[in-house]
Amino acid sequence: MATETGEPAEQTGKEYADQFRNHQRIEQLLGNGLYAFAALMLVFLWLPLLIIVFLSFAQSPNLLPFDGLTLSNYQGIAGEPGLRSSVVSSFSIATFSAIIATTLGVLASFALTRYQFPFREVYRTFGIIPMIVPGVILGVGLRFYFLTVGINPSFLATVLTHSLYGLPFVLLIVSARLYTFDESLEEAARDLGADPLTTFRDVTFPVIAPAIGAGFLFAWVRSFEDYIRALFVSGINTDPLTQWMFGKITKASAENLNVLNAVSTLVVLAIAVALAIAMNYGNVTGYVAGTRDDADEE
Amino acid sequence: MAAPDRDETLRAALVSGLSRRRTSLGVTAGPGAIWIVLLLIAPLAFMTAVSFASIDNVTFNIIWEPTVNNYRDLVVGGTTEYSLGPLVYTATAFEKAVLLSYSIATVATVLCLTFAFPLAYVMARLDDRAFKIVIYLVLLPFFTMYLVRAYSWRLMFGQSGVLNQVLGAVGIGPIGAFEFGIPAVIVGLTHAYFPYMLITLYASLDGLDFSLIEAARDLGASRVDVIRDHIIPLTLPGIVGGSLFVFVPSVGAFITPQILGQGKVQMIGILIEQRAIGEATNAATASAASMAVVVSIVVAMFLVFRYVDLDELGGV
Repeated sequence: MATETGEPAEQTGKEYADQFRNHQRIEQLLGNGLYAFAALMLVFLWLPLLIIVFLSFAQSPNLLPFDGLTLSNYQGIAGEPGLRSSVVSSFSIATFSAIIATTLGVLASFALTRYQFPFREVYRTFGIIPMIVPGVILGVGLRFYFLTVGINPSFLATVLTHSLYGLPFVLLIVSARLYTFDESLEEAARDLGADPLTTFRDVTFPVIAPAIGAGFLFAWVRSFEDYIRALFVSGINTDPLTQWMFGKITKASAENLNVLNAVSTLVVLAIAVALAIAMNYGNVTGYVAGTRDDADEE
Repeated sequence: MAAPDRDETLRAALVSGLSRRRTSLGVTAGPGAIWIVLLLIAPLAFMTAVSFASIDNVTFNIIWEPTVNNYRDLVVGGTTEYSLGPLVYTATAFEKAVLLSYSIATVATVLCLTFAFPLAYVMARLDDRAFKIVIYLVLLPFFTMYLVRAYSWRLMFGQSGVLNQVLGAVGIGPIGAFEFGIPAVIVGLTHAYFPYMLITLYASLDGLDFSLIEAARDLGASRVDVIRDHIIPLTLPGIVGGSLFVFVPSVGAFITPQILGQGKVQMIGILIEQRAIGEATNAATASAASMAVVVSIVVAMFLVFRYVDLDELGGV
């Protein structure tokens, strides 16, 4: 097309060239605008977290007037009653529930991707729903239900609740991986005489292991960060970290906020490190955000 | 020498079992199905049943006699007059909470969609190196505790929050929009569920063939045409999925309105919490109030069934 070459060939060529230059300018402007907007959104995601990190080193939990930097907020963590036990409690709940969610999720992913069966779509739908159900509803529903069937609010009730909550995250990530898995590899192993268990151990598992790891990580984090479900089912003897933090937020004295900023910063930092490691080893991005990385593996 | 033999027979039984389609289907689908029935369907069904029963005032036992009193109590009596601009209406606390929750969730969903779409589009077009960095920057807030993120906005908003302090220092503020209240809750929810929307949209945009868009543009389609006729239809599963992941949890939100509303934003989640374990404990009323949220879950279920495909979603 004449407009695309930018070479004025006819009488009207100059007009075309102007038009093209104009078009290019608009195109560039829109392109830059798009990137600027995208960058702005990243700032939106990050700004409040960066403020917490900054305030965790500040003398006063108010930004202004700025009183100077200190490490005393972090020293304050050591003397916090109940903090250590609540971290231990959250760690164990998250680990147990993520193990259950991962086991069930991996098995269900195989069922969904490998077999045709009645109500398969219903199964898939109900497999995703626990992730959408608001925490208040899941918590209240399970609280009354557990009490009626004889499970009092407890560590066990919390693990059961979180294992259901984590299931969709494992299911989504692992089944996405299985969809792109080349089944002829399994067939080849079977043809060469491997039984189903050996095939799974030596062929299938190594391929989907990073996806299983990502699913486990996801389910673990979702349990660890949950406040509202645990509020209804954990009972008075189980006190997860989130409940400790919520208590500090509601009793918002300067002292409480200082400690809370320090603890929050440590949480952000721990997750940043865990995520960086997981992304380096396990190719988490590919399983969390779609199939982009699958192309690299071939 | 009996033990290895037994192991061998067990293994042989397992292998022959797994070779049969029926057994392997049962082994893979069964445990998840049991979990879903016992921990999701049964509690929600139980909750629905309780919402039509009543509670003994003394023993707190459930009396299984069908009644609609719990629902009637929510919508009858105890009305207060509210004004919304020029509009004056009367409503019970429950009615107001439902209206407020659905409106806030709608605004948050629309904001998430409009904010996330451009970023998802850019992410889908980035080269691998830049993508790795951006996805890390997106995933980190996503993995950060929900509570920490809600709390981070508590530091930003309020009379003496970061926003108003900065505005005050430069001589503009403090302004009312940055107080705790509905705007703060909307910002908090948008921030909380933004990554869900983003990743879902990205997963569906990533499969998009961008040469199609270029071809359409070359053939004279305007930018609006391309978005309307190509991008939106092709990414519809992502748009529907992402919107559900934002809307339904927002309707039943508790932490965000509690922390960023500071008592001024009584969403349905707070009302349910008060009836379930708070000052006015009554399992039957709590269950009845929960039905206002369960409705949106049921609608979401149909939409997920219809639009959201596991292989297209790629993973959230």
